[in-house]
Amino acid sequence: MNELPAGAAKLRFDGERLSLDGDGRMFQVDARCLGDDPVAGAYAHVCALADLDAALEYDHPEVQQVRRDALAWWIPLLGDSLVCLTTLALDEARYGGAIAVTTEPAPWDSDPFARIFPGTLLRSDLFSAVAPPAGPVVERYAGVAWPGGSF
Amino acid sequence: MSVRPEAGGRLPDIELPDHTGRRRKLSDVAAGDPLALLFSRGWWCPKEQRHLREMVAFQDELEVAYARLAVISVDPPEVQAAFRAGLGARFIFLSDAERQWVEQLDLLEETDTIHHPYRPTAMVLTPELEIHRVYDGYWYLGRPSREDLRRDLREVSALIRDDFERS
Repeated sequence: MNELPAGAAKLRFDGERLSLDGDGRMFQVDARCLGDDPVAGAYAHVCALADLDAALEYDHPEVQQVRRDALAWWIPLLGDSLVCLTTLALDEARYGGAIAVTTEPAPWDSDPFARIFPGTLLRSDLFSAVAPPAGPVVERYAGVAWPGGSF
Repeated sequence: MSVRPEAGGRLPDIELPDHTGRRRKLSDVAAGDPLALLFSRGWWCPKEQRHLREMVAFQDELEVAYARLAVISVDPPEVQAAFRAGLGARFIFLSDAERQWVEQLDLLEETDTIHHPYRPTAMVLTPELEIHRVYDGYWYLGRPSREDLRRDLREVSALIRDDFERS
């Protein structure tokens, strides 16, 4: 993971903490989520594992379906509280999880991404507000972590 | 002054709240992709219900086609959210409950004096909001079918994607 595609940024997760440059497994996220105006003390539901083997193809039907579910009802359910949402890419093909960030507690048990990898709830100062994807596109743009990137 | 949008023209970068209440600009909704934009009467109209079910069937193609679909109606965001959920839609609804744009765009349906809705109109746009084609859907059969939109979005994709066809 040396060369990042345009629109991607690095984020690390060690199973308990998120960081930009600390220890832990490295993921690619939608770079807009790590913008210049982070929300202090936001709730970050990290549906990922630090285990390097925890990965699926982005094209796996269930990984496609959770993105559909995010567009259909998860994003509306989070409402005004949603700060940003990004999937976690491992490379140009593999999915390692997702993060939903909110300003208030949310019904995390309903997080569709937790169907793939279980969620860990953290407080974080890393994430900036990004308008959620307008849909209906669930495919990725140039290999960037959905919903980021463009052509 | 109102200006009715026509093919070859450009739509203003309309900014309205979406079905969750967030303000969105049309250019951000397009996000670099071709956009099918449907001006819709509202949830109460059986023709809208039928046509939007057709669009819900179409979204399964658009989700992998790098093309966008959006609806503008005079329903408030919370009504749109319920209607969208009932349809099973995964595309965005924009609310012009304040009738901010309906007259500017000369799209007021004058025969409905109760709801003052949009005259059903579909437009296929480039990412820069240039109007590629317009459909007047006052009569149901004037609205675009999936095949119409597939053709239009293919044409716009060919215009904006350098690698759409192998040279």
